[in-house]
Amino acid sequence: MKCADVQRVLPEVIENRQDGELEAHLKSCPACSELVSDLKLISSEARQLSASDEPAPRVWVRIAAELRAEGVIREPEAATPAPATTSRRSWSAWWLVPVAAALLAGASYIVTHKPAPQVAGQQGPAVTTPAAPASQPPATVAQAPAAKASSPQNAKNREVAEASSAEDQQFLSEVSQRAPGMRVTYENQLRSVNNYIRDAQAYLDQNPDDEDARQHLIEAYQQKAMLYQMALDHVQ
Amino acid sequence: MTDPKPGSITEAEAIERAKQGDEAAFEILYHLHKRRVYSLCLRMLSNPAQAEDLAQEAFLQLFRKISTFRGESAFSTWLHRMTVNVVLMQLRKKGLPLVSLEETLETEEETPKKELGAQDVKLTGSIDRLQLQRAIDRLPPGYKTVFVLHDVEGFEHNEIAELVGCSIGNSKSQLHKARLKLRDYLKFMRAEKAGNT
Repeated sequence: MKCADVQRVLPEVIENRQDGELEAHLKSCPACSELVSDLKLISSEARQLSASDEPAPRVWVRIAAELRAEGVIREPEAATPAPATTSRRSWSAWWLVPVAAALLAGASYIVTHKPAPQVAGQQGPAVTTPAAPASQPPATVAQAPAAKASSPQNAKNREVAEASSAEDQQFLSEVSQRAPGMRVTYENQLRSVNNYIRDAQAYLDQNPDDEDARQHLIEAYQQKAMLYQMALDHVQ
Repeated sequence: MTDPKPGSITEAEAIERAKQGDEAAFEILYHLHKRRVYSLCLRMLSNPAQAEDLAQEAFLQLFRKISTFRGESAFSTWLHRMTVNVVLMQLRKKGLPLVSLEETLETEEETPKKELGAQDVKLTGSIDRLQLQRAIDRLPPGYKTVFVLHDVEGFEHNEIAELVGCSIGNSKSQLHKARLKLRDYLKFMRAEKAGNT
């Protein structure tokens, strides 16, 4: 067998077909031997790329929202009806609307405010305050002691996380009272979107000039706002 | 309703619950298969945003039809075939050839021979994963389709021929040429890296 003949049988060789003539040629031809070895290596390494990448949490958030809108995901019946004296609409109006709007305001803040070196003791940006529910004075969140933080940016992130956690707990508590059957649904959705926000924020902290990272964080907040809006729609 | 976590129920149980509209079951199925579906889309399109959109579309198509799933084939096989079809449909919409145009332009004598006897950079032993991803991204669309489906995703040539709409021989030929091109790209990248250090 000559080098040119190797070309004819090469595809089958890579598929691990045995060929005695070829084996003999490869032992005496370093170039063909290296070619076969390289192609086998490429083929085997490529297999490792299957399932190697993780989609962003927003993908599931969007899928779930679509399935819910189409009725493929069915909401379980509420175990107990809302108290007759309380209008569902009025409940959602005082609680969900301002929070959804505030989250969108937070996203807008991220668009327009690139991180800049902060002066020690500087008040956290507006993004920390709108996440607080309307029934809870935003100042209680915004006035968290930044002095304990290792850096102003970390302090800001902690404030956001604390505000978000408190607001989510109140949100879930309200859902449990008003529509108990929906609690698990919204708990899962909140977990996904909060993970997304956390990941996006962490990446942006490390890459403050990365516009894609900034856009991801904006989308994360927008998705959380969308979640609150969906809750609003459900309870109306 | 309980809140099953991945691992707490089997895939078959999750499928049955999903047929009843249980969100937690849908979420389990999603998390079981999200990496493979998204990675397939990403490899084929080389664009994270489009890959997310198509992964979403593949899952939506599957979940909408989940009540028709009878279990004759593996759920994963069903999902991955659906994902490939969604991706191929997108490539067709974009006007990208599923079978490389170079196939018809290159003669059998041309492409591979230049590889023989090359005494340049060697791949020897290992390939950096990131470099391999970048090399795949550079492949012409048709070569990329066949390479990803066969070498990355493990489809057989007869399956690829059916999915893409080409002959089995054509699929084999494109795969071989894709591997040769990847070898060229990887050697070039390695030489470039060596030159920079």
